[in-house]
Amino acid sequence: MSGRTEASGTSRGGALAQRAKGLEFQEYALAIVVVLLFVAGSILKPETFPTWDNVRNMLTQASVVGVLAIGMTFVIATAGIDLSVGSMVAAAGVFGGILIGDDGTSSLVFILGAILFATFLGSVNATSIAYGRVVPFIATLAMFSVGRGLALLLNDKLPVSLLDLNGGSFGDPQPFSLLWFGTGRIFGIPVSVFVLLAVTILGWIVLNRTRYGRYVIAVGGNREAARIAGVPVRRIIFSVYVLSGFLAGISTVLLCARLGSASPVSGNLYELDAIGAVVIGGTSLAGGRATIVGTFLGVLTFALIFSLMTQLNLSTEIQQVTKGLIVLGAVLLQRPEARY
Amino acid sequence: MPERPGDPVNNTRRYGMSRKRLFICVAAGLVLAIGGAGCSIGGDKETVTTTVTVGETTPTGGTGGTGKTVKIVASVPPTDHGWLGAISKDAKAAAEQFDDVEFELLEAADADSQAQQIEQAIADKPDVLVVLPQDGAALTPVAQKAEKAGIPVVNIDRLFTAPDAATATILGDNYQIGVLAAEYIADQLNCQGNVVEIQGLAGISVTTDRTKGFTDTLKKACPGGGIKIVASQPGDFNPDKGLTVMENILQAQTDIDAVYTHDDDMAQGVVQAIRNAGRDDEMFLTGVGGSQDAMQQIEEGGLYRATFLYNPNMAASAVNMARLIGLGQGFSELVPPEVPRMLVVPAAVVTKDNVSEYEQYAFD
Repeated sequence: MSGRTEASGTSRGGALAQRAKGLEFQEYALAIVVVLLFVAGSILKPETFPTWDNVRNMLTQASVVGVLAIGMTFVIATAGIDLSVGSMVAAAGVFGGILIGDDGTSSLVFILGAILFATFLGSVNATSIAYGRVVPFIATLAMFSVGRGLALLLNDKLPVSLLDLNGGSFGDPQPFSLLWFGTGRIFGIPVSVFVLLAVTILGWIVLNRTRYGRYVIAVGGNREAARIAGVPVRRIIFSVYVLSGFLAGISTVLLCARLGSASPVSGNLYELDAIGAVVIGGTSLAGGRATIVGTFLGVLTFALIFSLMTQLNLSTEIQQVTKGLIVLGAVLLQRPEARY
Repeated sequence: MPERPGDPVNNTRRYGMSRKRLFICVAAGLVLAIGGAGCSIGGDKETVTTTVTVGETTPTGGTGGTGKTVKIVASVPPTDHGWLGAISKDAKAAAEQFDDVEFELLEAADADSQAQQIEQAIADKPDVLVVLPQDGAALTPVAQKAEKAGIPVVNIDRLFTAPDAATATILGDNYQIGVLAAEYIADQLNCQGNVVEIQGLAGISVTTDRTKGFTDTLKKACPGGGIKIVASQPGDFNPDKGLTVMENILQAQTDIDAVYTHDDDMAQGVVQAIRNAGRDDEMFLTGVGGSQDAMQQIEEGGLYRATFLYNPNMAASAVNMARLIGLGQGFSELVPPEVPRMLVVPAAVVTKDNVSEYEQYAFD
């Protein structure tokens, strides 16, 4: 079964079947890329790469951008874009950090503060796009700038240390403390990986198995047709940017938990990684076609590339060229014959 | 060009100008003027006009007794990083000491907007420009333009690539930072062990010098080659990049003895990666810069064992130099009546033993 949702017309029979086949191949193709990268790593670094510890490390790293990318999938499905997620991560982290104050030691204050603030920033995006009729690119570009500025303003350009929230001890964090989200484990699997999987599965269900998901796709596929068919277009568009902000808040928690601080310069260019993962996953930038499974594989692809190349200690310039070529190759490999 | 009607060359040319060319010239002038006006309204300027009267002794050069005010415009990259934040604070503080200095600090988001800001500043005709370029090579042309327009430029830290782009230069010694780090690590490890290097931003001179000084000296300090650099990756002076890069290196390297990072802010992410992996007893780490956080950790002892001071108060010295240049004076302790062309601020090793002496220079 393909995890892809598409705003298909009423065409039936052969054409549809053929298209579905092409699309399915597309998803498998990216899975092949993920496997190939893992095999390459295992051959080049046989002692350290194919280990459970390393897989855990890569998934943990993937969780931050992964959560953002799920939100981005919904946004891009409506033919929108959210350039502000990285800045929202920075702003939400610093906001949560200053809430704690000097004496407070409550992880919950930080977590809720960060998520609420990111959701608030997301709803500012949502309002200006859905009701102010600002083009998503511009509205979120403005938030890209405002969010980063807020991150710097809120604590006078300084990072906020969150180490107190970790109780100062490393290794066995208390459940639901901030550190637990960064380094805690359940059955040997990092908590942040559970969060990523939960967000991915929920995202898949919502996009593929609910009326809301169909509406999101419909709005991206043909806005006018959706409107005529009775889809509350504005509310749908509003909701995806709020969702993107909310998930940016969750991503903030996962990042700050590992970093032990909230830095105003963190999250730099995360939006590009998130958008990149969504697009190589097969979601159409033009909207109307989205795949959560593809996005998840796209996130894994980026995480594998980054991890593998740092572990091989390649020089920066080689890394950049290689990363670009792998991404291009992955997209070419999965290009379905019937796209044009 | 159109702003200088008195220029004889310009005048003779203008008479011979075709109508079309004249039109282009005027149009260009208009665009410049409008663009400039737009900038001065929209730019995030921060003006510090000093009215403080200094009763105490004035540093080198004296007041000159001319009653002349020196207008200094400083341009720096975004101060979203501890060290750069300290640079702008120190420059402002220095300017406030003098009652004959009118000081303005411009912060630019990137190299392009910094070039635009400086262009605009040239039009305002300050007496001296102080520039810490985002990218030395990219901003060389605009600095040359200022020098040609008769505005001396004082260059801080990141070098311009042409000798006629600055009247005076003050910089830290990034190569020496690498040298000191290599000597320290070689000494601590007795020339035996595995070292990881987390570099700054790839492709800028600060990073390449800090790396080169380190590798060159490691070879000299340990001629037997007992120390191996097992990984060397950029962390972009950014804590979360430092964190993820170090997480991956920790996966690949099972035996690490020391980590040389290029920056204290970034090092916090690296420290966290090591702690999260529970490997803080296996290795130690050094930073660069001299942040309060780093100095505190050095004092406490443990993973963070040293930092190499890259003193941001060079910005204060740059403002002092700019003032002297504006007044046409030199350093009173030196013989020539001009400010020297190049000043190199030495780096210093800060460890648990001497951290108390250096805490006064620490920045947030």
